[in-house]
Amino acid sequence: MGLQSTYEPPKLAVKLLSLVCKKKLFEEIEGDLYEYYQGQREEKTKRVANLYYWFHMLNFLRPFAIKKLGQNSNTIIMYRSYFKFTWRGMLRQKLQTSFHLLGLIMAFCVCGFIYSHIKYESSYDSFLDNADDIYRVAWMNQNPQTRTPHPMAQALADDFPEVIDAVSISPIYGSGLTKATVLLKNEKNNITFDEPNGYFVDSTFFDVFSFKPIHGNVKEALQTTWGIILTKSVAEKYFGEANPVGERLTFNGMEDMLEVAAVVEDTPKNSHFRFNFLISYVSLKSLQFNDPWMSWDDFGHFNYLKLAPGTDAKAFEAKIPDWAPKYLGWDEENVEALKTGENKFELQPIQSIHLHSNIRWELEANGSYSYLLIYGISALFILLISIINFVNLNTAKAAQRLKEVGVKKTLGAYKSQVVSQFIFEALFTTFLALALSFVAMYMLETPFNQLVNGNISVADLYQTDVILVLLSIAIVTAFVSAIYPSLYLNSFEAGQILKGLKTTKLGGSSVRNGLLAIQFVAAILMISGSIIIKNQISFLKNKDLGFKQENLLVVEVDDFQGDLEVMKTSIQKSAGVLDVSLVSNVPGGQFNQHPIYAANNPSLRVDAAEMFIDNDLATTLSLNIEAGRMLNKEFSADSSGTAFVLNETAIRELSLEDPIGKQLNWVNNEQLVKGTIVGVVKDFNYNSLHVPVRPMIMMVPTSFGYNYLVAKVSPANLKETILSVESNFKEVYPEGSFSYRFLDDQIERLYLEETRTLKLTTLLSAISIFLACGGLLGIVSIVIKQRVKEISIRKIMGASASQILWLMNFKYLLIAGVSLLIAVPVSVYFMKDWLSNFTYQIGIDPLTYVLTAIAVLLLIGFTITLISMKTVKSNPVNALRSE
Amino acid sequence: MKGTQLGEFEELVLLVVGVLFPEAYGLNIREEIINQTKRKVAIGAVHSALSRLEEKGFLESELAEGTHERGGRRKRLFKITASGKQALEKNHELRNSLFSQIPEMALKIV
Repeated sequence: MGLQSTYEPPKLAVKLLSLVCKKKLFEEIEGDLYEYYQGQREEKTKRVANLYYWFHMLNFLRPFAIKKLGQNSNTIIMYRSYFKFTWRGMLRQKLQTSFHLLGLIMAFCVCGFIYSHIKYESSYDSFLDNADDIYRVAWMNQNPQTRTPHPMAQALADDFPEVIDAVSISPIYGSGLTKATVLLKNEKNNITFDEPNGYFVDSTFFDVFSFKPIHGNVKEALQTTWGIILTKSVAEKYFGEANPVGERLTFNGMEDMLEVAAVVEDTPKNSHFRFNFLISYVSLKSLQFNDPWMSWDDFGHFNYLKLAPGTDAKAFEAKIPDWAPKYLGWDEENVEALKTGENKFELQPIQSIHLHSNIRWELEANGSYSYLLIYGISALFILLISIINFVNLNTAKAAQRLKEVGVKKTLGAYKSQVVSQFIFEALFTTFLALALSFVAMYMLETPFNQLVNGNISVADLYQTDVILVLLSIAIVTAFVSAIYPSLYLNSFEAGQILKGLKTTKLGGSSVRNGLLAIQFVAAILMISGSIIIKNQISFLKNKDLGFKQENLLVVEVDDFQGDLEVMKTSIQKSAGVLDVSLVSNVPGGQFNQHPIYAANNPSLRVDAAEMFIDNDLATTLSLNIEAGRMLNKEFSADSSGTAFVLNETAIRELSLEDPIGKQLNWVNNEQLVKGTIVGVVKDFNYNSLHVPVRPMIMMVPTSFGYNYLVAKVSPANLKETILSVESNFKEVYPEGSFSYRFLDDQIERLYLEETRTLKLTTLLSAISIFLACGGLLGIVSIVIKQRVKEISIRKIMGASASQILWLMNFKYLLIAGVSLLIAVPVSVYFMKDWLSNFTYQIGIDPLTYVLTAIAVLLLIGFTITLISMKTVKSNPVNALRSE
Repeated sequence: MKGTQLGEFEELVLLVVGVLFPEAYGLNIREEIINQTKRKVAIGAVHSALSRLEEKGFLESELAEGTHERGGRRKRLFKITASGKQALEKNHELRNSLFSQIPEMALKIV
C-alpha cells in the first residue's frame, strides 16, 4: 500500500469513549485522539502514549460530549423512581430500616477492625528489604530456644555461598538473663535516662536489617570501638534536634565512654525486636577478655541470616547437622542427636516469628496465631449473621410488595426491571451502611485499640485491599438478598396478582428457616466458645501456682553496687514489710538455664533453670519444702554456692531416689560446679502456665547474682508501705532510681493475650446474639401479620393466649433445638482442640452447654412472645372485619 | 439567550480558528494554542469550546474527507461566521477603547 502502518490506541479507552460519547461528535473526537496518539507514539514509549491517550479521553467526559441522560432518558427516570421507592420504603418502616442498617454497620465495623488487626499482626518485619530471605537460627531441642552461639552467624556466611549476609546480635543482659537497662548520660547538658533495649550487634547488622540511617555512616559506625548508634527518638531525648554524631555519652557511670557514631530511624512497631541503641561487638572484643559467652559453647546470641533469593531454606537447613559438629566440639551422643534430627538448628522465616515462634527468650512478646484465628472466625460469624438477617428480612418482606410489582408489570415493566429495582434497593442499603460504618469506625478507633491493646489506625483502612473486601461483601450481600424476592415476585402473572392472589402464602420459608438455623448455630458457637474461653482463663488466673503471688513487692536492685545485705536489712525495717528476700529472677520472668547431672550418673543430663536465692526465699514466697532444707548462708557450703536445692521435676527427670546428700554437678559454661543436694522444693510455676514446670536449681551466688529484692508486705496501708520502702531504699542508695512492681501484676501480664481475647469474644458473642434475636424479631413480626386472621379465628374458637403463644413459638424453638444439636458437637470438638494448646487446661463443663441452651431458648421465646403479645391481646373482631 | 458573550478561552479558540483558516480542526487548534500561548490545553477542552462557539453561532463546520493518519476518520473543519467576526471585532474595539482610556500615569507606575 505504500502507506506507513499506524498505531492502534488502547482498545478499552476507545470502547469506553464510544459508549458515553454523543454519536454526532464521536467520529471527529475519536479521529483527533487517533491522530494525536500517532504523534505521541512517535516520540514516547507505548506506556506513556497510552497514558496520555487515556488522560485526554477521560477529559472528554464533559457535558457537551456525553450522551444526554437528563430528563429525556428512560434509564435515568427509572432509577430516579427506584430511588424514590427505596427512600420512601425506608422511611415507612423506620424500625426495620434502622435495624437493617445497624446490623450491617456492626458487621462491617467488626470485619473492618478485625481485618486490620489481623493484617497488622501478620505484617511483622515485612517492612525489611528482602524480608522473604531473612531467617533466624533457632535451637530446637526439648525446650526450644531462640539463642545460638555467637560465632555461628559468621561461620555460616563464610562456609556457605547461599548465605549472603549474617549477623549476630544480643540484647544487653543483666545477670540471670534479664534484659538490663543502661544509664546513659549526656554530661554536657546533664541529661540522664535509664535506657532500655540496648543491643550488641555485629558490624554486618545493616547488611541484613535495612533500618534507614539518618545521620552518620552506619557501616563504619559498627566497625569502630566504643561507638554507639541511637535511634532518632532516643537521640532527640539527649541531644535535641541537632545532628548528634561525634557527641559523647556516659555509659553506666563510665564518663564519656561512648561516641555517637550514627543515628537511624526508630524501629517500627511491627518489628519483632525493638532497639533504642546499638553497640558493636567490636567494642566488646577489644576488651580482650576471654568470655565463653562469645564462644561456640554458649547458646547465647540471636543469629540472623540473609539467604540468596530463591534459596530453599529447608534444603539449606538440612546441611547444618553435617557442618556444625566441626565447630561445636560435642561428644558423640550430642552429635548423634543432631544428625538424627532429635535436636536441630531451625531456620525461622523472620516474618513468621511474631505469630508462630514463641519459644524461650523471644525479644518482644509474641502474638498468637490461634487467637487471631478466633478473632477472624468470630468476625466472619457476625458477618454471616448480619447478612442472613438482611437476606431473610428482604425475602420475608417480598410478599408485601406483590401489588407494587403487579402494577409495575401491567404498566409494562420488564422482568429485568423488577430485578434491577430490587438489586438497586439492596445495594443502596448496603452502601449506606458501608459509608456509615466508616464513620462509626472513626469514632470507635480508640476504644477498640484500648480493648484489644492494638495498634490499628482507621487511616489504614483506606487501602485497596480493605476497601475491596468490604465493597465486595456489600455487593454480594445486596445481590443475594435481592435475588429471592425478585425471582419470587417475577414468578406471578401480573393479572393474577391484581385479581387478588392469595398473598398469605409466603414462599421460601424453608430456606429462611434454614438460614435462621445457621444463625443460631453461629450464635451458639460464639456464646459457648466465649464461656469456655472465660472458664479457661479464670482457671489460669486462679490456679494455685505453688507459691503465694499476692502482696509481693518486687524492687529492682540490679544496678546497686554496694552491699545488698545492708539494703535488705534496711528494707526489712520498713513499716508493713513482713519478709524480704534477694533473688536473681522472679516468677513470671525469663530464666537462664544450664545442664545438671548427678555425679554418679553423668550420662543423664537435664537442662535446669537456675535461680540465685538467699535464706528467706521460701518464707517470702511461701514455697513448700518437700525434703531437706532451704539454703542458709551460715553454712559454708551454702554460701560458697556448692549446696543446691532442686525442684521435684528436676529430681524426677534425674531419676534420683532419696536425693538429699547426693552429689550434683552443675555445668555453668563448661565450668563445672560440684555440689550437694540439700533440699527439694515442691514444684511451683515459675513460668507462665502455657508451659509445664521444668527442672530448676537454686543456689546462693558466689559473687554478683541478685537482681531483685522481693518483699512480702501486709495488704493494709499499701501506699504507706511503698513510701516507707522507698525512703529506706534511698537511704542506702541515694543516687539510685526506685522502681518497683507487684508480682501478681507482672504475672497477670503473661496472660494479656488471653484477657484481650476474653474481652473481644464476650463483646462479639453479645453482638451476635443481639443480631440473631433482632433478625428473628423482624421475621416473626412479618409472619405474624400474615397470620392475624388465623390467630383471630382461633381465639374466637376458644384458644387461650398461652396456646396461641405456644403455636407461634413452637416452630422457632424447634429450629433452635436443631441448631443446638448441630452446634454443641462442633463446639465441643473445636474447643477441645483449642484447650489442648494449654498445658494446664480446664475440662469442658457440660453446664456450659446447658446454660447456653437455656439462655438461647429463653431469649428466643422472649423475643417471639414480645412481638406476638399485641396481636394475641387485640380484639379478634378488628382483624376479621378488615377488608 | 444568555450565551452570546465570548469567554476568554472561547475568544482565543475563535481567533486561532481564523488564523488556521481554512484547515482549522480540533487537534491543530490545540497545537496552535499550545505553541502560541504556552498554555497546557486538553483536547477535550478545545472541543468543548468549539461546540459552545458553534452553538452560539460564531462558528460553522463541515466534515472533511478522512485521512490515513486519522485511521480513516473524518475531521470537522471550522470557519468563523459573520456573527463570529462581529463578536471578535466588538471585543477588539472594546479592549482598545478601554486601553486608550487608561491615564498615562497609571501605566507609568507599573
